[in-house]
Amino acid sequence: MRNVLINSAQLLILVLAAPLLRGVISKLKAWIQKRQGASVWRPYADLWKLLHKEELIPNTSTVVFRFAPVIGFAVTVAAAAFLPVLHPAALLSLDGDIFLFVYLLAISRFVMSLGALDGGSAFGGMGSSREALVAALAESPLFLALTALAVLAKTGSLSQIAGWTMGQNFFDVSTVHILAFVALAIVAVAETGRIPVDNPTTHLELTMIHEAMVLEYSGPSLALIEWSQAIKLHLLAALMISAFAPWGMSLASTPIGLAAALGAYAGKLACLVMALALVESSVAKLRMYVVPDFLRVAWALAILAVIFTAITKR
Amino acid sequence: MSELLLVLFLWSLPLAALVASVAGGHRLVRRLTPVLLLGALLLGLAIAGNCFFNGKIVHVDWSGSLPFALGLALDRLSGFFLLLICGVSVPVVLFSISYAGHYCSAKWRWYWGLLPIFLLSMVLVVVASTVFLFMLGWELMTLLSASLILIEGDDEDRRRSLFIYLAMMHVGAAAVLASFLLFVPHAPTLTFDAMGATGVGLPAHLRIVIFLLSFVGFGVKAGVVPLHFWLPKAHAIAPTPVSALMSAVMLKTAIYGFVRLTFGILAAPQTWWGYLVLGVGIATAVLGILYALGEHTLKRLLAYSSVENIGLIYVGLGLALIFQGHGLPVLAALALIAALFHALNHGLFKSLLFLGAGAVQQSTNTLNLEELGGLLPRLPGIGISFLIGCAAAAGLPLLNGFVSEWLIFKSLLKGTVLEPIPVLPLLIGAVALAGTLACACYVKVYGITFLGRPRSDAATYAKDAAENMDLSLFIIALACILLGLHPGAALHPLSALAGTLIPNATTPPEIADISSAMPLVAAGVLLALILALRLRTRTSRRVDTWACGRPGLTARMQYTATSFSKPLRSVFKAVYKPERALDIEPADQPYFPVNITYRSIRTTSFEKTLYRPSVDLVVAAARQLRRLHTGNIQVYLLYIFLMILALLLVLRFA
Repeated sequence: MRNVLINSAQLLILVLAAPLLRGVISKLKAWIQKRQGASVWRPYADLWKLLHKEELIPNTSTVVFRFAPVIGFAVTVAAAAFLPVLHPAALLSLDGDIFLFVYLLAISRFVMSLGALDGGSAFGGMGSSREALVAALAESPLFLALTALAVLAKTGSLSQIAGWTMGQNFFDVSTVHILAFVALAIVAVAETGRIPVDNPTTHLELTMIHEAMVLEYSGPSLALIEWSQAIKLHLLAALMISAFAPWGMSLASTPIGLAAALGAYAGKLACLVMALALVESSVAKLRMYVVPDFLRVAWALAILAVIFTAITKR
Repeated sequence: MSELLLVLFLWSLPLAALVASVAGGHRLVRRLTPVLLLGALLLGLAIAGNCFFNGKIVHVDWSGSLPFALGLALDRLSGFFLLLICGVSVPVVLFSISYAGHYCSAKWRWYWGLLPIFLLSMVLVVVASTVFLFMLGWELMTLLSASLILIEGDDEDRRRSLFIYLAMMHVGAAAVLASFLLFVPHAPTLTFDAMGATGVGLPAHLRIVIFLLSFVGFGVKAGVVPLHFWLPKAHAIAPTPVSALMSAVMLKTAIYGFVRLTFGILAAPQTWWGYLVLGVGIATAVLGILYALGEHTLKRLLAYSSVENIGLIYVGLGLALIFQGHGLPVLAALALIAALFHALNHGLFKSLLFLGAGAVQQSTNTLNLEELGGLLPRLPGIGISFLIGCAAAAGLPLLNGFVSEWLIFKSLLKGTVLEPIPVLPLLIGAVALAGTLACACYVKVYGITFLGRPRSDAATYAKDAAENMDLSLFIIALACILLGLHPGAALHPLSALAGTLIPNATTPPEIADISSAMPLVAAGVLLALILALRLRTRTSRRVDTWACGRPGLTARMQYTATSFSKPLRSVFKAVYKPERALDIEPADQPYFPVNITYRSIRTTSFEKTLYRPSVDLVVAAARQLRRLHTGNIQVYLLYIFLMILALLLVLRFA
């Protein structure tokens, strides 16, 4: 019972703190650009505002357009149930859930791409076509990086991988971890549509990927899309934390241990977020057809990570 | 009792054919034939289910009363494939009622006369217990599907494609027959039981030759790269219900044959067999889906997607052989279950997609993706079930396609126990690539065909689909959802089936894992879905799609199938090798042209580099052989004399 409560709390943290993560990133970016920037709570206000607005629906669109954001949100939340945050266990767990986790996120992309095509304008098609390109090249390295970890930990479950990594010495970190971490970082940037692959704040036809897909959405549907996008970013950050740096998670699940785990998690998240803000402020967005080259780096690193599992002591 | 039922089932199929072709002119008969056929198929379904789920084994042996071995046997493996054949055929027959409704009387008779015996031929292949009956069914299957293709016309293109189909099929059949005949001196009779008893004891080199021959022979039928050449040609021109049967069921008979021969008869495989099958499977999966992505005719696209799925099935089979070769029966069982379950799942969602394509063709008279669009509001029943089929084919969770892909991933991951070099886990990347490309491909198929604005008048004024078309698609969609949410229903009997083929195999723990996880995930998604729906209870208003502030957005401004796949095609351009030609007239004024023509032809590189040279070689050899035909009778007599002399010499010294 106690475990179920902690696991549900983990899920709630992943879902509810996601907009805050976005707020912090834009605040950090503002500071780097010597601006005041909006409050870190701004994304919540945006969601609140959008949820209370009237929705405009293109007149050619069908149920697919209407239900895509809802389904996308639901599967993203369901994927969050597999991630450990405070202690090395999750609400749902399965030996092999690394694959299920990635495929649940793929449902979200599938329905959102269809919703984009349903609008009947050029932008939607453009967005979903480009999203298909990025996804097709980003998903394999994601699988391979997770596979490398699964091979080392001898388990295919995200929470058990976190548990295994906790038992390792931090200074004994292996080549596999470094390679897989970099590959996963590149993939996370591509999957969540951040610079240098995509720019979440752009509305320029030539460059936008995800924004082109959701151009026709407004009101509550847009709120759900923005929220699930924020959750996805949070999920991938939490995935990196739990797989590569789970130290600080509470093993005994005492109240103090859990509070410390939450603090440690927030600290690690802050590090990732700062790195992302620095990259986004210092790097220009890549040209569309250079993105595959960028993702090939992730491919190479992920393949090496799997190969190096053979020579790393298990 | 069950023997009697099985024989009754086999006879009821040609009976239906007879009724249709003899009395097909009568209106009552036109109603009766499909009912008769459906009844027969339900009987078959019951027999197959009893065998697959309850392990009821049926043997019928007529060898005693005949000069050669002839008999039927229904074990769990046959039962599984019989279940697939009958299960897919029921909605296909239901669909055919309206599909064949527009045929003229003669065509109608041909269609309903040939369809039941085509089904019978496939049933014969999986229930045969002797080589003779197996090859009979195998050959009939080819010929009858070819005749069914001819019902819808015999223009030049169609005949060319059909010729390629028949030629390839007979090369395959020859290889299959040769692999069986190699048993002759060792097995007392050519029954599968007798062959299985001698299989392990055969000389090692003979076992290798038999394996390679069967791999090629069944590979042609299954359509593995590079032997897939005929598949998109033949599947695209058949009447749509027949395409559905060919893709969903006929390809699986090749899987059946391969499993029967390699696991059931030869047994004790060598490890490299597995690596061969695995390598070919990976290449087939990735190339198949890349070709599908570049294709813009619905049925050809679906046929290429079948190539991809066959590749995934072969990946599972290859893994099973590897694990068995290393003496890991539980893992081998896991991989074999993954392969067979994927065969079942592909049979379901591919028949759904083909039937959907048939409905689209009936409503719009076109299958060209660039002329379709906006069909979902016009054909709601077809549209919704087609969406489920697309999602299942893309391998998305909560549907059946995901479960088998997950099992394949899991078996690859388990490959780490084998060896120092992690080849098998590396292949997860390749299978994942095929999976995401499939996802992109089905977004394209569904988004361009059913969503957005109609791209032509044909799509704008699409006719309603008939009710039983909707019904037959719903049935399959429901099966896809049920197997996705409760995979244990099929996985547990499949595990028992794997136990009969792989010695010492116990149920892999993954079966119970995934069977209990999927309902939980579904419940979680449902809960989140309800929550999200409650969040979104606001008023909405219909407006024009935003067109940069200008009025008059037209269908031509949408992305097309070509433009959708362009980024991926340019990344993987090494695979497509398109031949492009841009002619500008007049040539000296490139900026003020009068006329611009652009052509882009995609021929697969296999056609140029593999098939063309070998066809040229055969034709050249035939030309040389023609010199023997002098037309002079004395010369022919000389040939006969020389032949007899040669035979005598051989007999003397051999």
